[in-house]
Amino acid sequence: MTAKNGSATATRVKASDPTDQLPRDLLSREEYLELFRQLYLARYFDVRLIKEKKKGRLTGTLYSSHNQEAVLVGSLFGLRPNDWISPIHRDMPAFFMKDLRSGWDNPDRMGMSIEEVCAQVWCKVGSPGRARDNWSHIGKKDKHIIHSTSMLAGTIPVAAGVAYADKLDGGDTVVVTFNGEGSTAQGVFHEAINFAAVHKLAVVTIIENNQWAYGTPTHLGYPLEDYARRADGYGIPGFIADGQDVFDVYDKVMQAVAWGRSGKGPSIVECKTFRAYGHGDHDDDRAAKYRPQDEVEQGRSRDPIAIAKKVLLEKGYITESEATLYQAEGKSAGQTTDEDFPPEVVAYLKRGVDYALKSPAPAAEEGERWVFRV
Amino acid sequence: MTNMTYREAVRLAMIEEMDRDQNVFIMGEDIGKYKGTFRVTDGLFERYCQEPRDWLVEPPHPEILDGVGRRVIDTPITEPGIVGMATGAAMTGLRPIVEMMTMSFSILALDQIINHAAKIHYMTGGQISVPLVIRGPGGAANQLSAQHSHSMEGWYAHVPGLKVVAPATPNCAKGMLKAAIRDDNPVIFTENPGLYSMKGDVSDNVDEIIPFGKARIAKEGKDISLIAYSRMVNVSLAAAELLAADGIDAEVVDVRSLLPLDTETIYNSVRKTHRAVVVYEDWKSGGFGAEIAARIAQDCFDDLDAPVGRVGGLNVPMPYARVLELQCIPNEQDVLAEVRKIG
Ligand SMILES: Cc1ncc(C[n+]2csc(CCOP(=O)(O)OP(=O)(O)O)c2C)c(N)n1
Ligand SMILES: [Mg+2]
Repeated sequence: MTAKNGSATATRVKASDPTDQLPRDLLSREEYLELFRQLYLARYFDVRLIKEKKKGRLTGTLYSSHNQEAVLVGSLFGLRPNDWISPIHRDMPAFFMKDLRSGWDNPDRMGMSIEEVCAQVWCKVGSPGRARDNWSHIGKKDKHIIHSTSMLAGTIPVAAGVAYADKLDGGDTVVVTFNGEGSTAQGVFHEAINFAAVHKLAVVTIIENNQWAYGTPTHLGYPLEDYARRADGYGIPGFIADGQDVFDVYDKVMQAVAWGRSGKGPSIVECKTFRAYGHGDHDDDRAAKYRPQDEVEQGRSRDPIAIAKKVLLEKGYITESEATLYQAEGKSAGQTTDEDFPPEVVAYLKRGVDYALKSPAPAAEEGERWVFRV
Repeated sequence: MTNMTYREAVRLAMIEEMDRDQNVFIMGEDIGKYKGTFRVTDGLFERYCQEPRDWLVEPPHPEILDGVGRRVIDTPITEPGIVGMATGAAMTGLRPIVEMMTMSFSILALDQIINHAAKIHYMTGGQISVPLVIRGPGGAANQLSAQHSHSMEGWYAHVPGLKVVAPATPNCAKGMLKAAIRDDNPVIFTENPGLYSMKGDVSDNVDEIIPFGKARIAKEGKDISLIAYSRMVNVSLAAAELLAADGIDAEVVDVRSLLPLDTETIYNSVRKTHRAVVVYEDWKSGGFGAEIAARIAQDCFDDLDAPVGRVGGLNVPMPYARVLELQCIPNEQDVLAEVRKIG
């Protein structure tokens, strides 16, 4: 078996300027703390939805991003508000975490509100898709979020098209697409990146290598260990990030984004991480059997919250007593309580859930609306 | 006869044929140790891939091949690739079964299916045959929304060179899958996910196959013919019970083989009842039920006492919300309404 979970941190192709300064070195203490807080927010979203489902208050499937939060938070944090993203099933928090830096409560920020995302989960008309698609299949054009679909890798060419249009318009926005490692076997993954490389489009493809694609381990999906090497065939940079370390993800994605924004073209960032649970919550029981227990334990041993906490302590950005205030790390959803999370995180989700519960369900007769633009 | 689920019947057909013929193998996504997302391939990996004799040669790097089977092959997520590779293997004489995680994903493989598998025999003047089976769940399940709920059989039944079947019972599933595997042509074999847990008596005879091109009378009746395939046969049977309460004796014809189509059985039924309603889950507009209706209208014109009725899915991408989804999938009340409408 190949090495797992964040053991590789080297950058294969150096795309940054030759100084040794890393993107993270330009972040302030407040920004470090905000990155840290966002990890809690992503984790709590997952935890809360799992609990809601266990209570029987929800239908649908949660493709948990537990243990993979650093990939989402670190990738999104440095984007400009106008940049585009294209998340997939495992990236639910990305929909409301895009441009969170412009203010969690800022209605004009370029991300979905927590209310809309929760309404989507509860399948209510208050959701962007008005209950027409399942949890993770949402998009919002005015927030520059490309609609995700079931079709793995299917949105990467769409993302490349968005980048192409932006280029024609003389813009300098970057399009960041998210994909599982298994999805890189899809033909359109390659067609899109090839096109983007030919036209030097600012498309950053994040490969969330969580070691499993449904029930299939990586060695049955790709013969090499590093998916970043997919980049070699297109002559574009392929970065490898420790997906458990939000700062490393931030560094690599920011280098990739800078490369794209300066007109040099697309790139790939492979984030090595580990899927904590089953493919979706429907698969949890089976996953407990088809995955070796020691692999799961090892894969979950490097909790992104714990790793970030350690960095903040080392930098003196938080005190020892602040570090023990909230202890969500290393705990499964069922083991956590709300006390394990900052109160503003809990309150944020509550707002979303309350809205979703109040939002009306779709009326049976409106099913034929929106097939066409009229 | 043994009582078993539709899922078990599909599995049993594969096991019997794989035991019978070393050239039969199966490939697809998550079908090996994972047993398939609908657990159809449960036990196959253990049965065919653990024995050392299943390796042609000793694998050079056994550790890399951990979990790789020779006759039960987990593929990367690459639907056109899977079908293309199976087509190549079939051309050389092997008999691949491709499991699509859902038939909806076969849309990605349309080029390989239509331009390669379906055309090779014709375009090579009959030199090369492609004994390939593509099977998997087709149609709506429960809230899987637009990209997982397609009924693809009508799309495929449009293509010369393909055979297309959609059995409704466990026994038909077993007998027809065996026929599909032994057929020398590419076969599309649709299993409605709503049928997997349905139980029924299944023939124990390993040599018994159910040939294509032969429809089945699921229930005899004299007043109207309900013509359906796959899960819509059950919906039609339920509708027939409701109609019986109204004193209408409906006959239910299970088409089960779309291409080739057994028009004789369908026409005989219509000639007896003088009324027909075609029931299919696919989008109503342009679905395969439209073809059946057109043929009845043309060939049984003088026998009909009413225009041919049609019940089909609503022409929208399948929505997720259950209340919207239920509007899209035909049910027995829709059949009843159509029966009343044609009068
Ligand atoms: C084209 C296509 N084929 C198959 C599937 C079924 N499917 C959904 S998720 C999945 C596994 C994806 O694995 P990966 O890309 O590694 O993402 P992860 O779920 O691990 O985040 C599969 C096979 C699909 N949705 N689309
Ligand atoms: Mg994966």
